[in-house]
Amino acid sequence: MMDFMKSLHIAASGLRAQMGRMKVITENIANVDSVATTPGGDPYRRRIVTFSSELDRSVGADVVRLGRVEPDKSDFLVRHEPGNPAADAQGNVKYPNVNTLVEMTDLRDAQRSYESNLNVITATRKMMQLTIDMLKA
Amino acid sequence: MPITDIPILNMLRERMQWQQARQEVLAENVANADTPDYQAKDLAPLDFSRQLSAASLSLERTSPEHIASTAADSQFASKGAGYEIRPRGNSVSHEDEMMNVATNQMDYEAATEMYTHSLNLIKLAVKE
Repeated sequence: MMDFMKSLHIAASGLRAQMGRMKVITENIANVDSVATTPGGDPYRRRIVTFSSELDRSVGADVVRLGRVEPDKSDFLVRHEPGNPAADAQGNVKYPNVNTLVEMTDLRDAQRSYESNLNVITATRKMMQLTIDMLKA
Repeated sequence: MPITDIPILNMLRERMQWQQARQEVLAENVANADTPDYQAKDLAPLDFSRQLSAASLSLERTSPEHIASTAADSQFASKGAGYEIRPRGNSVSHEDEMMNVATNQMDYEAATEMYTHSLNLIKLAVKE
């Protein structure tokens, strides 16, 4: 039964990691129009999550962990809007480097991974139940 | 003769332990489906004939200074280069893993059923 508990721990770490990823993705989507508050300032910068596989000594298995959340170093979108309070001297406004289409695809990917982990938990629980059922016979 | 020495129960127990270990490996694969450079793993299939021959033909050490004979094969089966390796260097395929998990669960179910039935047979013999 210990191995089953390990499996559950690993799958739960996957759920946690995907949840954290979804959080960062929704943050990106929510801030798609967050321009600077000062003229010519930098807007919201898109953030990317990283995953790493590492040994959890209390479980004795390789679990997945959410690594550092890194900024996306690509260029900002520049639009000419002289009336905008965030516009610089030339009338250009920098918009966040967030592409909602990319974020939605990422969100779908995270959702799919989440479901797979959930599936593993369901299967493992069923197997534990089968083991316990052997006592009834 | 203790009940644990009955060969069929022994084999079934071995099988169930192998499936528990495999479930762990599969869970690891799924959890790491987005980890860069992670390669999907699987356990080498359980081979009873190999275990039997290994049990009867292993080299005995008569002195602790002798080098132990170790089985060369690893417990992990190499999955080879899958057809789907993503740019991140990750080779986990959700579909494959889900199929493996389902197969593992069904095989485990079969093993537990057989274990129960074997026990019932013994019970029947005892009652007579």
